[in-house]
Amino acid sequence: MSSKEKTITIFYGPQHPASGHMRIILEVDGDVVIKADPDIGYVHRGIEKLAEHKTYFQVIPMVERQCLPDAAHHNLAYVLALEELLGIEAPERAQYLRTLLAEINRIASHLYGMGLHGVSIGSSTAYMWCFGLREYMLILAEKLTGARITYSYIIPGGVRRDIPQGFSQDVERYLRLFERKMRDLDKLFISNPVTKARLEGVGVLPKEEAIKLGVVGPVLRASGVEYDVRRVRPYAAYPWIDFEIAVKKEGDSYARLLVRVKEIEESIKIIRQVLKDLPDGSILHERYMKLLPPRLKEYVTNTGLVKFPGVFATMKVPKGEGIGSVEAGRGELIYHLISNGESKPYRLKISTPSFRNLILFSHLIKDVKVADVPAIYLSLDYFPPEADR
Amino acid sequence: MNILSQILEIILNRSVIAAVIVPGVLTALVLVILIIWVERKIAARVQMRIGPLYVTRRLGGILQLVADAIRFLVSEPIVPATTDKLFYVMMPILLLLLSLLPVAVVPASQSLIVIKTEYGLLAFIALAAITPMVIMLAGWASNNKFSYIGGLREGFMLLSYEVYLFMSLLAIAILYGTLDFIRIINSQEGFWGILLNPIAALSFFIAMLTSTSRFPFEIPDAESEIVMGPFTEYNSIMYGLVMGANYFRLYVLSLVFTDVFLGGWLLPFKIPIPNFVITIAKTFIVMIVAVFLRAVYPRYRIDQALVIGWEKLFPLASLSVLISVLLKGVGI
Repeated sequence: MSSKEKTITIFYGPQHPASGHMRIILEVDGDVVIKADPDIGYVHRGIEKLAEHKTYFQVIPMVERQCLPDAAHHNLAYVLALEELLGIEAPERAQYLRTLLAEINRIASHLYGMGLHGVSIGSSTAYMWCFGLREYMLILAEKLTGARITYSYIIPGGVRRDIPQGFSQDVERYLRLFERKMRDLDKLFISNPVTKARLEGVGVLPKEEAIKLGVVGPVLRASGVEYDVRRVRPYAAYPWIDFEIAVKKEGDSYARLLVRVKEIEESIKIIRQVLKDLPDGSILHERYMKLLPPRLKEYVTNTGLVKFPGVFATMKVPKGEGIGSVEAGRGELIYHLISNGESKPYRLKISTPSFRNLILFSHLIKDVKVADVPAIYLSLDYFPPEADR
Repeated sequence: MNILSQILEIILNRSVIAAVIVPGVLTALVLVILIIWVERKIAARVQMRIGPLYVTRRLGGILQLVADAIRFLVSEPIVPATTDKLFYVMMPILLLLLSLLPVAVVPASQSLIVIKTEYGLLAFIALAAITPMVIMLAGWASNNKFSYIGGLREGFMLLSYEVYLFMSLLAIAILYGTLDFIRIINSQEGFWGILLNPIAALSFFIAMLTSTSRFPFEIPDAESEIVMGPFTEYNSIMYGLVMGANYFRLYVLSLVFTDVFLGGWLLPFKIPIPNFVITIAKTFIVMIVAVFLRAVYPRYRIDQALVIGWEKLFPLASLSVLISVLLKGVGI
């Protein structure tokens, strides 16, 4: 640093306790950030290219792995795109079960983000409690799908498993416990005066700018735009389900936190509705049920576990394009799948919410204190592996 | 024989005992090890975890900190090439010494005091004011951007908290009309300072949290912002010393808090326990309260902490001085 320079450049990451798998290059004058330049790509794995070398079924577990806290939505969006290509739609029961898993996963994903947001402003208790609460959701997901994080639950034409016995009671028990603990979390972290002091009025994103920059998800809704893919282009069981969209006008870090809290409450409502209204019937599309040999078919209907016949592995998909869009934990997630009639995708394009919100780094982290950098960064719930793909 | 008795005389001198055992080095060391364990255990309890456990499992992992200290001792100290080596190496040692130094004028009982002086309060203030400078120097000597910002933050905080730290002590000095710790404690017979002037106690306590960078004022070494603040480049035993120094400072300030606000070794009832044990026990409770806040609060931003310091606590401390003057006026 020569004596003429007024500012210093700080590399906030990738080896920094709060940066995640990315780097923000900050230009700092004293304790004020003048400019922030996000530098991404540290966890780029080329999922889109890899998908061109795998069969349609092998792609399912792979796409989940780009965003572990939010695996179900990636799973769902890919399968929706694939189903559009195949020209099928899952039976109603499977649609409800997809919604169930998606909402369980949404709660887990939001808690993941809130926990990291908490520890970024110094509340290690919020971090531990959020991750502890997330555990309930992981347990429920495990009971439903057999896996805690990467479920591979949603498959073309339906879901892989029916709900286990006594699942509704389990869910009710865990949800009650969950709601009680959420009230504690609210007292200790969300309504804590220090939390409010740190987050209110920090990183304000006005409505017009939010629309102009094309941001998505809770970040957009916290700026007062009522946009939710579940409402705009309903998928799975959302057309039949009654829920509210959480919207806040302020557009600051605290509003983004509150929107997530409200969405968790809505998700709990949706889970209860799904379990109440769950229709009877098959969990797999009849076209695939027909393909199963009689003994396997019997097994599937009796146990509720879907076993695929070998023909699935080399399944050829008709020529065309398919688009699946869902409201993932971090916002609108779009999968664009192009098929040339082979057993492998010709091209898979993924538009992830994290990447679409990335632009906010240079817009929001400007003329703020260094201490506000983590408070803004983690309020966006930005997940580097998801953005890098 | 003559030499031996002379040596014994020196060793058994009360000042030496005060410096080495109570309230000096040994007590400080034991309390610091205990308080770090208690801090981690309390935080773990609040956060639905277990905390340190595997070292001496039966005792609840109480020796974990000893194990950590040994690890700090045996790991290789690395001095980065870009640092100002002399200052870089000197700072942790200086910091540790200076953090504990103010204890020289603070008593643990009627006779257990290293330097008996009528100007104890003043001497304490003078000695306690050196440490932040060393922290700033450590930040500067590291030649790291995070350390640099951390050092500056420490400087800003210093300007804010020192004022109300001293004013709350001024309130006490006015109230009891003396700067001598022992006379202050003896004046609290039956009625502790915290009851007489709670506002001074509050502002002193908050100043204590700020100066030892406890939550919600853990600003100079905020991990998610500037890694470890002024101590980012420190490692192995040097980091161990730096970390210990912070707790030593907490111990000294808690001891002062006990002496001036909680009546030192005085209790409302008589129990057959040595005086210094009572003082140390009270000190430990004050320390526990200070470290417990970690589990409750996030941290403030630096400008907010400065605003709190100058706009809330400075008037509050002034008010405490006024209260003392008024109390003195009505003749207590």
